[in-house]
Amino acid sequence: MSNALRSPDAKVPNRALKAARSAQRRQIRTGLLFVSPWVLGFLAFFLYPFFATLYYSFTDYSGLGAAHLIGFANYWALFHDSLFRTSLFNTFYYTAVELPLSTIVALGLALLLNMKVKGMAFYRTIFYIPSIVPIVASCMVFVWIFNPTNGVMNSLLSNLHVPGPDWFFSVSWSKPSFILLGLWGLGQPMVIYLAALQGVPKDMYEVASLEGAGPWHRLRHVTLPMISPIILFNVVLQLVVCVSYFTQAQVIESQDVGGPGTSTWFYVQYLYTQAFQFLKFGYSSAMGFFLFVITAIITTVLLKSSSRWVYYAGDDR
Amino acid sequence: MKALAIGSALTVLLAPGTAGASALKPDGGVVNLTWETMWSGPTLLLLKQMTTAFNASHPGIRVTEENIPSATGDAKLQSQIAAGDPPDIFTEWNPVIGEYAAKGYILNMNTYLTGAYKGFVKWMYPLAAATGTYKGELVGVPMSLNSWALYYNKSIMKAAGIMSPPTTLAQLTADQAKEWIIKGGKLSQIGMYPGANGYQYFSTFFGALNCFNSAGQYDYANTKTCPGATALMNWLTDFKSYPYAQVNSMNATYGAVAGGDDDPFVAGKEGFNMDGPWEGAQNIPDANPSMEGNFGVIPFPGTVGGPSTIGQGNFNIIPEGASNSKDAFEFITWLAGYNNVKFTSNIDPQGGWVPAGPQIAAAPAYQAYVKKFPWMTTYLEQMSSKYSQAPVLTTNQEQANTAMATASNDVQDGSMSPAAALKYIDTQANASS
Repeated sequence: MSNALRSPDAKVPNRALKAARSAQRRQIRTGLLFVSPWVLGFLAFFLYPFFATLYYSFTDYSGLGAAHLIGFANYWALFHDSLFRTSLFNTFYYTAVELPLSTIVALGLALLLNMKVKGMAFYRTIFYIPSIVPIVASCMVFVWIFNPTNGVMNSLLSNLHVPGPDWFFSVSWSKPSFILLGLWGLGQPMVIYLAALQGVPKDMYEVASLEGAGPWHRLRHVTLPMISPIILFNVVLQLVVCVSYFTQAQVIESQDVGGPGTSTWFYVQYLYTQAFQFLKFGYSSAMGFFLFVITAIITTVLLKSSSRWVYYAGDDR
Repeated sequence: MKALAIGSALTVLLAPGTAGASALKPDGGVVNLTWETMWSGPTLLLLKQMTTAFNASHPGIRVTEENIPSATGDAKLQSQIAAGDPPDIFTEWNPVIGEYAAKGYILNMNTYLTGAYKGFVKWMYPLAAATGTYKGELVGVPMSLNSWALYYNKSIMKAAGIMSPPTTLAQLTADQAKEWIIKGGKLSQIGMYPGANGYQYFSTFFGALNCFNSAGQYDYANTKTCPGATALMNWLTDFKSYPYAQVNSMNATYGAVAGGDDDPFVAGKEGFNMDGPWEGAQNIPDANPSMEGNFGVIPFPGTVGGPSTIGQGNFNIIPEGASNSKDAFEFITWLAGYNNVKFTSNIDPQGGWVPAGPQIAAAPAYQAYVKKFPWMTTYLEQMSSKYSQAPVLTTNQEQANTAMATASNDVQDGSMSPAAALKYIDTQANASS
């Protein structure tokens, strides 16, 4: 090192540098301390269970004692398990119908509730309330409404001379019944869409109107592109909700698990049964990890496709 | 200082909470036992009577009963055992006991069958003992036993022109067919419908229980070694002409009222129903007293040559890791009525329970109960019948039972043939991880 750097004037920048680095380190430490609860929670309740599930999926594990490694035997058994295939089909049938329907219905409701009419606060409350009703209570109510013999729905249909189906007790109507139950509780995505709609700049609609765009064109070329990031967000959220469908089926089918002809034996129900009823935690872990992979693939495809239809403000498109 | 405060806060935040029941250490010489059950409703009052009486007569042991929701009871027990903090006693439904025993979740109680308890197993009905035994080890002690018989509605029988209850299977099938009322596509009265329990509960009537091959695997589809299974499934297909969905919805509708004590038979809407003694002793008096005197109970007219029932019920188990297993064993044998005949013979009638041993059935209080409900004799006879069978406890018993329920439903709604249904049961029951 040259003497010029050892001159008294050169010592000042070193001290300032050290002080700056020390302050930076202090800041980092303080920042880490504040995020540590989240980090610890993430490690304990997400990362560890995730890798533990992956590990147990390669074992024969009853939940007690040691887990014995058995390689890919669980995954091999999955593909030879007819009930696994049934539950996968039921879940993806439900997802394929419920996801687009719920998106359309929630968005439609949000569009209606975004209009300037008298009593709008009341209407918004009415449409949101079903989403805060406890799931078990709503299931019990729906079982009554859809009772094939004495239910309100079939009574109304019979007044219209339409023969009501057997709803939850019918092989062909059981999944649609669950889909209808799902559509009833769309308050949360509806509120998110409503917030997004209110964020669309008004002047864009004014410009569009001036250019001669009617309501349909304004919806298609202004509203939907402007809220497309929110649509993507809601679709991904709903996808996860649909593939992990469990509580409603478990409550409604408590007397007939799997529903009529296993038509409503959903994937997570079967996973839960394998773990807590059959004590096959290794097998259920394999099911869980398989579901994660499938969901990740679908989400990746969705996100990759989003570049074609999602518009972010500031994008060149 | 600031770091210390934040660190302390984090320590508190991260300190592991304790949850669940724990067997407490002796307290002034008193052993504290925790007993977890999944019962609800009036039965809880009976449990309270039992613990109060036991605690009063056993000053060195104090039992505390904890009630947990049945929907999550198994998961909670498994979590407690895995965490090393199980209750001392757990009352469990017998089908899961085999799995629990096979996987080391519950204790083998053979070690306690010494001294005063040497004769305990022989004291019980053989069916009761067998139902709680896994590979020669006593793993469950009966708390309340189930026995199944055929209820018939007298006025529905009379209206259908049937003069006396059926004595053969063919007669039953024909009689119940006359009792269905479906007008304009709407069901208003059921003749008989086995439902999801069709295979399991009816199995002993056809000799269709415990069918295994030489490798110890379930083998219900084998028509040579298990012809009863095919006969049972063929009988269940007789019901596919009936509206499966409407029957299930009627069951669900009535089951949702009266705290689950109601069903179409209790409501007077079903001609024949197979059920346990609680139907006549509790459900009907509680939910529809007008049905009292309008029903009878007979052994199911099966094909095995005599009255029979499947071994079933709620059994007390001692989880692995329980701190006071010896005292727990003393408590559960007392609950079963061993060295406690007088008390149990008073309690069992209140629960509508079949006793664990013949001594209790012979006791004056229980005999008074039988005199009041003469049809209880049917249930008691089945406990000693040579045709009655306990399901052999296996590692995959729950899988077998779940598969049987699915197969029973699918055969009755016509979506599976009998042969396919039996193959399905074998495939599911023999699946291994």
